[in-house]
Amino acid sequence: MTADSFLFWFLAIVTVTSGLSVILMNNPIYSALSLAMTMVGISALFITLNAFFIAGVQLIVYAGAVMVLFTMVLMLFDLKHEMQAFVKGKFTGFIKVASVGLLAGLLVGAILMSVGLFTEKTTDNPVTFGTGMEATKALGRILYTKYLLGFEALGVLLLVIAIGAVALSRSKGGTHEH
Amino acid sequence: MNISIITDITLAHYLILAAVLFVIGMAGVLLRRNVIVLLMSIELMLNSVNLTFIAFSKYLGLLDGHIMVFFVMTIAAAEAAVGLALAVSIFKRFKEVNIRFFEHLKG
Amino acid sequence: MNMGKDAFEIIVNGLKLVIIFLMIVQLVPILVWVERRGSAFIQNRLGPNRVGPLGLMQLLADAVKFLTKESFVPDTAKPVLYYAAPIFALIPGAVAFAAIPLSTAFTVGTFELFGSSWGPYTFLVQGYDIGIGIVFILGVSSLAAYTLLMAGWGSGNKYSLMGALRASAQTISYELALGLSIVGVIIMYNTFNLTDMTMAQQGPLHFSFMGYTVAASWLPNWGIFYQPLGALLFFTATFAESNRLPFDLAEGEAELVAGFHTEYGGFKFNMFFIGEYGHMMVAASLMSIFFFGGFGIPFVTVDQVHQWAVTVTSTPNWASALVALIHFLVFNVKFFAFLWIFIWVRWTLPRFRYDQLMDLGWKTMLPWALVNTILTATVVYIASL
Repeated sequence: MTADSFLFWFLAIVTVTSGLSVILMNNPIYSALSLAMTMVGISALFITLNAFFIAGVQLIVYAGAVMVLFTMVLMLFDLKHEMQAFVKGKFTGFIKVASVGLLAGLLVGAILMSVGLFTEKTTDNPVTFGTGMEATKALGRILYTKYLLGFEALGVLLLVIAIGAVALSRSKGGTHEH
Repeated sequence: MNISIITDITLAHYLILAAVLFVIGMAGVLLRRNVIVLLMSIELMLNSVNLTFIAFSKYLGLLDGHIMVFFVMTIAAAEAAVGLALAVSIFKRFKEVNIRFFEHLKG
Repeated sequence: MNMGKDAFEIIVNGLKLVIIFLMIVQLVPILVWVERRGSAFIQNRLGPNRVGPLGLMQLLADAVKFLTKESFVPDTAKPVLYYAAPIFALIPGAVAFAAIPLSTAFTVGTFELFGSSWGPYTFLVQGYDIGIGIVFILGVSSLAAYTLLMAGWGSGNKYSLMGALRASAQTISYELALGLSIVGVIIMYNTFNLTDMTMAQQGPLHFSFMGYTVAASWLPNWGIFYQPLGALLFFTATFAESNRLPFDLAEGEAELVAGFHTEYGGFKFNMFFIGEYGHMMVAASLMSIFFFGGFGIPFVTVDQVHQWAVTVTSTPNWASALVALIHFLVFNVKFFAFLWIFIWVRWTLPRFRYDQLMDLGWKTMLPWALVNTILTATVVYIASL
């Protein structure tokens, strides 16, 4: 067993276990902490795929900012009476679990059937190898040329979101005056 | 038992791992009733899609997948900000985070 | 991230990781002594001076005290988080510090051992070399917020929780200013790699501007002369990141008892302490790498040192080892200078109020960091014309 495959299986076990605990933990704070663990695992998986810069951004944005916000909000809520908010009713629950299982089977089956169709060309592009600097430079170049419009649109979206979030958190909530 | 499935990591391994994570996230959305756990499950699904993008990007030798991950991350962060702001304002008002409760739309 | 091609290289690289971790842990007692004696000096007191010469044995006495204290868990605590938080406190600082280049690489030529020939090898004086250096360090140190939240919420104490919420809000607010303040540096040196940044700062001040070469032989080629605003913002933001005075609202003794570690005692408290000093060390070394030439000697390039070393030693291996040693010592001089500034500021400035802290972060430092980024980008573009 080589180091690469060992790393993959280790990270796969870590991400799937912590991903499962996100939905199985009774206390939402433990869910948030396990999700942060999943994010760190996925970031390490990005490194095994030579996406160094994206891995760093994943750590900073997801694990370092988004999940910290989730955890902070949950800790402020202090949900003592509302620990187990699972779905009620055995029948609907069973239908949902069955449909999720069906989706899983479909996805995995589709991947296994179609994966032979790709011709893997892993040696073609020097950009996706090396220490990450070349890939990051190339990434910047196409971000500011080919995808410039999308990038600008995201900037506008972030501005709108920032204003919207501030407005929402300042409002009293509800649609009618009390 | 064919050992090469374990020792040779191919595109399919990453895709299946991403699919499993996506399905876990979807199960969370369907089964949980806490609105913040729902948001977290959606984040998990977005992350698994990112993993698919990066895996394809590596195996096809293209960087466009990295750009898509960039965009997905930005939108996920924006979604989390708005979702949490909504959740906080609703919680401040009703002291409740169960999604069933939000079906009563009358303010 | 490559660990090596044979057993010898893997063992040496593994040992390096252990040594760097031990360096962090062993520096902490020394820094605590410097902090206590230094604070006493600043406040015109004596400080600990009874145990051993100059009070140096005070550290050992403290360690014994920490280890023999009663292990205590509050009734309302969540035991898993309560015990996990101090352990996680060590991780971000240690992992980030291992990615920092402490000196030039040294080479080991071929040699015979155990009946087979080994080498040649090149060993970096650094835990591991990650191409995206600074992004990795920022990412790892942003995980420190979880430690605070786990400790604060796991203790089951409202003062702890308030302290943790304050600390983590502060950490993620100042991360913006911290990240933006070094964008100027990254644009200027055109790399994320910390070794390349250091190498770009050798010799006397010189740069090319629109085809002309500008040189000032009386200044070293350090980043602070190109990025003074960036340096100021970065240094301020690192104080907030490591939760030290004047930004230690998380502890705010007068309001919150002791913040997120109110319920911690003995060795668990000590681990938080080591974590905080680990952050300080990462900040001090980053400051010296970005703005003060890292391990480089002012006015002297690494090549010049190497030429000198070849003349005084017998083999190329010893020459490279001597060069690495000299640069390691130079790095340590800068490193300890910044650590002393951290301590000095802590005992000089009073604490901010929380709204002042947030105003400073969002309304002063973030806009100035943006200005610095845009200005640097414009100037670099004009200079390249």
